[in-house]
Amino acid sequence: MNESQSPIAQSKSQQLYWMYQIVGWGAFTLARIAGAITAFRIPWFKATLELGILGVTGLVLSHGLRAYIRRHHWNDLSIPQLTKRIIVAGLVLGTPLGILTQLTAVAALQDLGPLLREYAPGLDVHFSVPIQFAHQIVNWALLFMLWLAIYFTAIGLREYRSARLTQSELARALQLAELRLLKSQLNPHFLFNALNTVRSLIADNPARAQDAVTRLAKTLRYTLTSPQDELVTLSQELGIVADYLELESMRFEDRLRIELHVPDDAAGVQIPVMLLQTLVENAIKHGIAQLPSGGLLRVSATVQSEMLMLDVENPRPPAPARRSQEGVGLQNARDRLRLLFGERASLELDLSRPSVATARLRIPVNP
Amino acid sequence: MKAMIIDDEPPARRELRRLLTGFPWVEIVGEAGNVDQAVEMVETLTPELLFLDIQMPGGSGFDVLTRLEDVPQVIFTTAHDEHAVRAFKVDALDYLLKPIETARLAEALGRVRSTQAARTPRPDAILEKIFVRDGDRCWFVPLREVRLLSSEGNYIRLSWGESHPLLGRALAALEQRLDPNRFFRANRRQIINLEFIESVDLGVNGRLHAQLRGGPEVEISRRQARLFKTKMSI
Repeated sequence: MNESQSPIAQSKSQQLYWMYQIVGWGAFTLARIAGAITAFRIPWFKATLELGILGVTGLVLSHGLRAYIRRHHWNDLSIPQLTKRIIVAGLVLGTPLGILTQLTAVAALQDLGPLLREYAPGLDVHFSVPIQFAHQIVNWALLFMLWLAIYFTAIGLREYRSARLTQSELARALQLAELRLLKSQLNPHFLFNALNTVRSLIADNPARAQDAVTRLAKTLRYTLTSPQDELVTLSQELGIVADYLELESMRFEDRLRIELHVPDDAAGVQIPVMLLQTLVENAIKHGIAQLPSGGLLRVSATVQSEMLMLDVENPRPPAPARRSQEGVGLQNARDRLRLLFGERASLELDLSRPSVATARLRIPVNP
Repeated sequence: MKAMIIDDEPPARRELRRLLTGFPWVEIVGEAGNVDQAVEMVETLTPELLFLDIQMPGGSGFDVLTRLEDVPQVIFTTAHDEHAVRAFKVDALDYLLKPIETARLAEALGRVRSTQAARTPRPDAILEKIFVRDGDRCWFVPLREVRLLSSEGNYIRLSWGESHPLLGRALAALEQRLDPNRFFRANRRQIINLEFIESVDLGVNGRLHAQLRGGPEVEISRRQARLFKTKMSI
């Protein structure tokens, strides 16, 4: 029924199905055999044979019905639709069995005629042959409807339980994804090194240490509280990038040199929050930090034909130790750009020059 | 005890220096900010202890160790890469997380001191252990546990237990630093550990063959055979 079930769960529910089928039909047939022998004095071998055949036919037909239900996905139907189908299916399957029953010696089992005559002799009831047939058919139809009701109750219960399980798994997966995002934004390497720098500054230069704590708090607040889909102006983003770069300068001292070139017409353009920050962090992590003598980090922006062109350029080791340049941060940045601007924005990492890496960001001025 | 600080961030070096003023028996003989500088300084200053950062420009702290001929005791310092140090299966290495706690520093230094005291004094020239890196794995290999050193071009293949790590050095250079009572030059390409010899046979070509415990059979060259017989008093 449920395709996502594991093979073990499937074989277990298959076993359970056959157990219910055999016990159900078996108990039903045995009870009728006992009734036929004791109440109607039908010879035992005849009762067993005929009712046995009827029981097995019922089992086979109901199994066929299950295959049909599964192929036509009845469990996706609404309750009224399902009710209609249950009635029709009961009648369709009840008809052959009803006719078969009427032709056997055990037909008397379901014939109300003798019973009525016994309790109300004055009425003198006699059912015509078509009515007797109809009676048998309705009896079987009701039995199949009961079978279907039990079947769908069992299926419904099982699906309810597995849905509850899936929901809790889903909630867990979502939490994990959020946590991963948070972690990737936080950059623990930067955070702990910054804290170490602050600790060193407390003794060396308390005023600078105070400044560093304020900047660290601003950086963290911006990182932790910005929603992923928010747009900010380039100058707002540059504010936080400046705080971040100041902290990194305290760590790297003269190894990190910075050049920012952002004209006024570019400063007001809206960009996704944390995007420039990600590019600058990458430039330091994969570029400046890998070089013994550090280098110059250059951020330059221009507006040309309604497009903001933002370049982040940094020196890099000639052969990067790891191919992590196109890391999670860059991929995440590209995904966000596509969600916000579609095909009109782009982000390229240019490694064509041997010792320079340039991240080129293109964003439409009027989205 | 002579110690050196290797870290690319000047504030981190200053901070550690300040913390170490509480341990007057640790004397800081130098500071280095990158791998090349570190290797050069360790070789000239011969410190007994290194405080070693993991992420550095021009390589990692592990690269410093693989390039050193003589590896002193090491305490790794790291802001976030403790998983890298924990990957080591060697208890000889300790690590401190930055910002460093004074209590943890005291603990690590205490351990260094006790290992130092337990060391048997040996002539300086003889190597006891060697730092080896093979792919993602690193080891401090005690040389007395190495049964065979084979030359492979400019590299040496060590046979050590089940592992066969490669060492980026020439066999002739390392030979000078091996304990002559333990190691023997069997032929042009191989040096064997005498303690691992299980049996010695005369081969069909008239040469001696030494069977090593857990290792291959090594042929003793004609030139070395006489010396070998004297050594093994056969």
